[in-house]
This record gives sequence, C-alpha cells and structure tokens, in this order.
Amino acid sequence: MRRLVIIILSLFCFSFAKAQIAIDTLSTEALDQLLIEQIERLAEDSDDDADFEDLLDNYIFFSENPVNLNSDEVMQLVELRLLSVFQYEEIQKYRRYYGDFMFLEELEMVEGFDEQTLAIINPVVCIGKDEDKDKLTFNKLARYGKHQIVGRYEQILEQQQGYAPIDDSALLVKPNSRYLGSPQKYQLKYTYNYRNKVRAGFVLEKDAGEMFFTDKVSDTIRALLGDNYQRGFDFAGFHLYAKDLGIVKAAAVGDYQLAYGQGLTLWSGMSFGKAGAGSSVMKQGRGITPKGSASEYSYMRGAAVTLGGGPFSGTVFYSNRKIDANVSVAESLDEAELVSSLQETGYHRTIGEIQDRHAIRQQVVGGHLAYAIAHFEVGYTLHHTWLSVPLQLKPSHYNQFYFQGQQLTDQGLDFKYVKGKFAIFGEAAMSHNPDTTALRQAQGPSFAGLVGMTVKPAGYLNFTLLYRNYGKAYQNLLGNAFGEGSRNQGQRGVYLGVEAAPAPYWNLLAYVDQFQYTWLTSQVNAPSNGHDYYLRVSHSFSRRANAYLQIRSKTKMKNSTDAMVFSHYPILYTKNSVRFNINYQIGRDFQCSNKAEYAHYHNEDGTNEHGYFLCQDIAYKPESKPFSLSFRYALFDAKDYNARIYAYESDVLYSFSVPALYGKGMRIYLLGKWKPFSNLTLYARIGRTIYSDRDEIGSGLTLIEGNHKTDLKVEMIWKL
Amino acid sequence: MKKLLLLITLIISTSTIFAYDFIHPMGGRAAAMGGSSVASQGLWALQNNPAGMANLEKMSLGLYYENRWLLPETAYKCGAFALPTKLGTLGLSFNQFGSSKYNENKIGLAYAKDFGRYLQIGLQLDYLLLKIGNDYGSFSAVTFELGLQSQVTDKLAIGTYIFNPVNFSFEQTLNHEKIPIVLRFGLAYKFTKDFVGQCEIEKDTEREGVSLRGGVEYEAFKSFYIRAGVQTNPGILSFGVGYAIRFAQINVAAQLHNELGASVQVGMIFNLGK
Repeated sequence: MRRLVIIILSLFCFSFAKAQIAIDTLSTEALDQLLIEQIERLAEDSDDDADFEDLLDNYIFFSENPVNLNSDEVMQLVELRLLSVFQYEEIQKYRRYYGDFMFLEELEMVEGFDEQTLAIINPVVCIGKDEDKDKLTFNKLARYGKHQIVGRYEQILEQQQGYAPIDDSALLVKPNSRYLGSPQKYQLKYTYNYRNKVRAGFVLEKDAGEMFFTDKVSDTIRALLGDNYQRGFDFAGFHLYAKDLGIVKAAAVGDYQLAYGQGLTLWSGMSFGKAGAGSSVMKQGRGITPKGSASEYSYMRGAAVTLGGGPFSGTVFYSNRKIDANVSVAESLDEAELVSSLQETGYHRTIGEIQDRHAIRQQVVGGHLAYAIAHFEVGYTLHHTWLSVPLQLKPSHYNQFYFQGQQLTDQGLDFKYVKGKFAIFGEAAMSHNPDTTALRQAQGPSFAGLVGMTVKPAGYLNFTLLYRNYGKAYQNLLGNAFGEGSRNQGQRGVYLGVEAAPAPYWNLLAYVDQFQYTWLTSQVNAPSNGHDYYLRVSHSFSRRANAYLQIRSKTKMKNSTDAMVFSHYPILYTKNSVRFNINYQIGRDFQCSNKAEYAHYHNEDGTNEHGYFLCQDIAYKPESKPFSLSFRYALFDAKDYNARIYAYESDVLYSFSVPALYGKGMRIYLLGKWKPFSNLTLYARIGRTIYSDRDEIGSGLTLIEGNHKTDLKVEMIWKL
Repeated sequence: MKKLLLLITLIISTSTIFAYDFIHPMGGRAAAMGGSSVASQGLWALQNNPAGMANLEKMSLGLYYENRWLLPETAYKCGAFALPTKLGTLGLSFNQFGSSKYNENKIGLAYAKDFGRYLQIGLQLDYLLLKIGNDYGSFSAVTFELGLQSQVTDKLAIGTYIFNPVNFSFEQTLNHEKIPIVLRFGLAYKFTKDFVGQCEIEKDTEREGVSLRGGVEYEAFKSFYIRAGVQTNPGILSFGVGYAIRFAQINVAAQLHNELGASVQVGMIFNLGK
C-alpha cells in the first residue's frame, strides 16, 4: 500500500515538477558553480600553483557517468562533497521505507533536499536497477564499454626568457638559464569505462619547456644530462581498475589513489582541506580509485586490492615509483649518496630539473582494515615507505622535525558514527622513523589526532566542531588531513562551522578556525598562531538569478622583513577579502555573471596593500545549436602580490585556469566549444592579460618583454 | 576664493589620481542616489548606461546642470535627446565639464535595443574633446561605450556598463595620455511598488581603488519622490527630491563632501512625443 501511495505521489510530482521546479537534468550549471567556488578557495589556500586536474577529473567523470541512485555508489557523491552525509542517510532511509527510486523527482520528497542540492546532483545521478549481480563477461566489456580520447595543446604565445636563443657556452656557464624544450604543452588521454565498474586508461603529457621528439640539444649538454636525456612525453601513466566483483570490492593496477578515514594516515591525491565548509569537514575515504590525470606528484603506482565480506573489508597495496629529488653525488667511496630535497612540481625543463628527474625510488607497502555496521565504521591503516637514497635536509631550525632518513612507518585508527542528527568522527595516528643512527632529527611527539562532530538540530541548520592536534614530529608523506596549510605536523587548532538556511532562498555558511603552530615553520622563526574567519551569504532571487557575498579574514605570522631589525622575529599579517558575485540568465541562451572582489593585506611592519577586481562574463549557449561561446572582460588593480586576486576562468573541459592577478591591467578571454558530430567535441580558448603598469611581465625564466601575455588552448574530445 | 584654493591644492596633491571625468553620472535622480545609475532606466541612461533607454516610450529631451562644490569652474553641463523608433532607441548626448580655461567635452551618438523583457543592449559612439586654455591647444579622440541591462525578475534589474573597453588614448598629447577604461555594474531592487534601492561598483583604471555607490528612492506622494544615497571614493552623502508631471520631470539633488562642501544638481526631462 505504502508503495502504491508513493508511486501515485511521485507520478503526481513528476507531472508537476516539469512545470514548476523543472530541474533541468542536462544542466550542470549548479554543479559547475559549486566546483568553481571550491577550486577558487583551494587556490587561495594553497600558496603555490596547485594541481586540481585530479579533482576536476573526478567531477567530470561523474557528470558523464551518473551514479545509480538505487545503489551504494551514491556514497561517492558524499566523497566528492556533492551530498552531505546526512543527506546520504536520508536517501538510504527513504529506500528502506519506500523501496527503490523510480523517478529522479522523488528526491524532492526526501528530507533535507532543497532545490539547490537537487540542481547540483541532478546531472550526476540516474535511476537504474542494482546491476551488481550482473555477471561480467568479455562480451559485455567489449560491447558496452565507453571509450574516450582527449587531446590537448596549450601554449603561451609570447616568448618567455627561458625560450630565448642562447649559445652553448653561455648555457654551460648558467645551466639553468634556459628551458631545453619547446614552449608547447601536449596531453593525450585515453579512458575506458564499463558502467563505472571497470575502468582503464592511459595518459601522456609533455609540459611546456620539456623536451619533445623534435627538440635537440648539443652533445655537451647531452653528456651533462647523462641517463636522464630523454625526449618525447615526459610523463606516462596507465591504470586498470575494477570494482564489485564478488568478494573483490575494488582492485587497481597502475596509477591509483588511496584515501582512508580522515586522511591523517593515508590520503594520496587531492583533499579539500577547509575549502568545503561546515558538515563536509568530515572526510569520506574513497578507498582505491583509479588515477587517470596527468598530475605528477602524490599518487601511487603499483597494485592494490580490497576484499570484503559482511561488515569486514581489507585492503593491501604496493607502490613503487621513481620520484624527483636533488641528489648530492658522493665525492668519495665512504661517503653515502644523499638527497637534500624532494621535488614536487613535476617539471623537467631545465638542466637542473632534468638531472633531478626520477632520481630516487619510493616504495610504499601497506593496508587498511575496516569494520562497518549500520551507522558505525572503524578502520585501521598501516603503511611503510622506503626511499632508495636517504633524505637529508639542509639543517635549519624549522625543519628539524621534518621527515629525514630512508624509512618511515605510519599507522592510524579512524572511526565514524553517523545517526539521525548527529555525526562524530576522528582519527588517531602515529609515525615511526627508524633512522636513529645519524640522529638527524630532534625527538618529539610523533602522535597526531583529530576529532570532530556535526550536529543538525534542525533541517536547515547544522554546526560542526573539530579539534586537531598534530605532534611536532608526526611525519607522514602520504597524509592529507584537515588543517591549515598542507603539512599535518606541529599544529593544533579548533574549527567551528555553521551552515544555515535562515529564510527561504537564503543560505549562510560561516566558520572560525583558530590554530597554533607548535614549532617554527618556514620563514617563521618562532612558534606562531593564527585564525581564519569566513562568512558567505547566498541568495536566489529566482531560478534565473543568484548571488553571494563572501567575506574572509585570515591572520597568520611571518618573519618581519624590516631591514632595521637585527633579528627577524615573526609578526602578524592579515589578508581580508570581500567578494560579490551574481549570476543571471537572460532568455534561454545567454548567461551573465558579474564579480567584484576586494583584497586587503596588511602586516605589523606597516605594509598595506589593496587589490580590486571587477569582471563581466557572458556566455552564449544556444540549446539548439552545436556550439557555445564564453567571454570575460575583467579589470584588476592590485598593487602587489600580497593583495593578489584569484579568479576562476571557464576553460576547456578537463583543464582549469585560476590565474593570480596582481599589478594593474585587464584580462580577457574567449572560449569556444563546437560539436560537429555527436561523438566529437572541439574546444578552443584564447586569453590575454594586458598590463598598464609595466613593460615586462614575470621574472627569471618566465619573463616576457612587453605588456601582454596571451595563452592559447585547443582540445579535442572523441567518444566511442 | 578659499574654496578655489583648496580645490587647486587638492588637485595638485592628488595629481597622481587625477583623471578625466567624461562619464560622470548624470541626472538629478542618479545624483541624489549616490550616483548609482547603471541598472536604472530612462533618458539619463543615455549617459549612465545606454542600455537603459531601450524601453523609452516617448521622444525626450533632457537638460542637466551640476554646480560641483558650488564652483562655476567645476560645473557639469549636459544635454540629451532620445528618439524611440521601431528598430530601437536612438540618442544624442552632449556633456561638458570645466570652464573656458580647461574643459572636457563628450559628444555621443547612442543606440539601444531591447530583446524581450530580459535583455537590453546599448551602444554609444563618443567623440571626446579636451580643451586647455592659454594656447595649450585642444585634443580629440574617439571611443565607444557598451551597456547591458536585464530585468531578471519583476523586482530585480541588473546592469553592466563599460566605457572605452579597448583603451584608446589621446594620441596628440605629449604622453599619449590614456583615456580611462571604466567598468561599472550593479543592481536595482524594487522592494515594494514605491520603494527602490540600488547599488553598484565602479572601477576607473586611472583612479586608485574602486567606487561603491548606493541609494534609495521612495515615492512619498503620487509622482513625488524623495531620495538619498552614499558614494565612496570620494566619500559623498547625497539626497534629493523629484516631481513628475505628464510632460516633464524635475529632479533636484545635493551632495555633501566632507572637505569640499556641497554640490547642487538640477535635471529636467521633457517628454516631447505623445
């Protein structure tokens, strides 16, 4: 009877939903907007050029291969922060009471699903029957699998200093003053997917400045490079992945990522940090996932398998890959080879970078055990890392607790309890570095832990509290837990966040994070502290228009650069920013967006810098035509790098662009998409930054003589 | 005299941020509402965001005078004429800032068209003339401005306006002096039938920082409006009143600056057609 009622209700809903709420199942606009905001915040939080390709890959994968609402796959949307864990629980509850979903529109009746959530997840879910029991055959794999090839070319059109002609003798005097390769970047990616169950692929990449087939160098330089002399694609990777094959819950060969618990012990690849606020602070380990992107740092290469039955599951993995490092060559026989630093950029453009390429071998072996029942989950993770050459950092006060030596063992215990209006989670970990012979490092607490809780007193309100305390000497090369900055070491802090919908069409997100560093950090000559305040208020005027206002203030410490002081003690600095963004749709085919941002930097030395950014975006996306265009016109005025502004730009699929703008000038771009055939999509994008306050852009190898910088990207996606 | 001295001192002391002022917001209504005007409609949109005159119903003529800081040397004078046609609205505008010793002039030919309720687009071609007395000569340049407005909901209107997007300059001047690029956007929100609020942000590439503007308008009696507004960079408080009859509107405003004192603005619009 209940079943009948629900069918009638959903039919009723279905017929009206089209007219009233009319969620456009094909529109990924809300999803895109969410992604833009997250990447923007990640870019602000990571100080250097972070690589979001991996993250982007995952989102695009799900928007093209929607997950079945009637299966456990929905959990993957929680892992990507598209759903909160409470919403996931509600979906499961709904299925338990009323049976499987028959229409997407039924989601409107699930508690905790507002219009915004529906708009976000609609493009990534579908209704299907649970196909887990279907037997996998080669015939099916060959017939129903989807293939995709993505080829991309990109280049900065102006000549950068690193590509200027130079003769060999001058290059030998200053070996790192030029890139050896050409300024083009190429990427080729192939992926195969059978119903999200079996996935495979490979990726080839050559970054700008790296040597390609046609680039040649003289014999002297070739001799200098020795074994590392190599032309062609600089990076190559493949992956093979399958899941839900009987007791094999997941298995991967080739490149893969691992993510467990709260990320304190083991979380390779991207993590959101503070970027997703509120209830999504609780991480959802994704276990083994294939890695198809071309990010060259932080991933596993080898094999991994998860077996499971009943409430238990167990994972074992092994990874063995060469990583970039700066090796100091032994001068005599009794002097051992040492590594002074690990390189994380993945660039191999200059002689120095090429010499560091794949200099040492990193092996990791480990496993994870999990026990999960209805609302409770507990897991244990253990892994051990070997480096083929010991790491010995340049001695400094701040890095004396950092990982050095050749081996490292990490283990951790994580748990999670989610029920009703309450979620509690945490992880405790410890590291063990057996390298005591050289007494390279100071001894200190090598424990780390975090514990958090989210309560949802009402449907429109939730609070999250998280406490973390990462020991001074807690070392982990594969962790990525919640924290300020990327290093889960020597830090403790408290985070309090709130998410609320105080009135219809109004949403509020706010958090406070207070943290202390228990030891010195790079460029901070004493234990220091800081805080991070964030407030975001968003409003939907209608389905056609929404806006948000975001205010952020972050205070940290850094050494004074005042030339008059003798010792460089840390002083406070604050970066405030205010952003207003409005998106609106004009008719059916045009979308417009305006953004205004103000950034203010000041420190106790008396530095005060202001930055401003204004832009107008127009996108023309005619429904009936096979092409679309996006255009931006932006003005920026930020005196210095400290008051820089990050502005996400629309880009070709699978690529991202978040330039940090500073100086004075304008930025324009035009992005075009054309789909000549149903299985072929072409993208082209050209962008230009024109400065009015300088005649040369950048410095060192990236220096451009002139006041403009133009970037070009062309991409082809072919689906079979 | 005292005031003039003060003004000269101010101009000299801020010479690095001294910029041309070809696109000062015009109209007594905008002046009273802190200068905010990018999302509003009517004849003065011709000066403030040409897209806003797309829905003009009658042929109109407007005159505007602003006695800035109560000094005749820093006055704005402006005249505008708009003609709605079947193919869109055509407009002609003239404005002048300054005195015989130094003046900035702009003559514009505008066209605006609406594409349904959701989209209005405006374009204006400008001829700029800069005259400096004592035989320094006069300099001219040509540029253009673009505007866009959208009535997103019954209550919300959004507008964007850009002046000189491709960065033309006065080529004849010694330093090829740049004409600023000005980007402005904002919204107008009709809280109730008789109460409107609007705000906007403007970036002028030849000035430090940005300028924020906001204002409210209340129809206190039939066709009688009271208005108030604020503006930052420079910081100004403003207020004013307006009265509309069938064939004409008159809007009066006053703006107060902490150091420079008061400015008075008067604008009149005559509806010529039927």
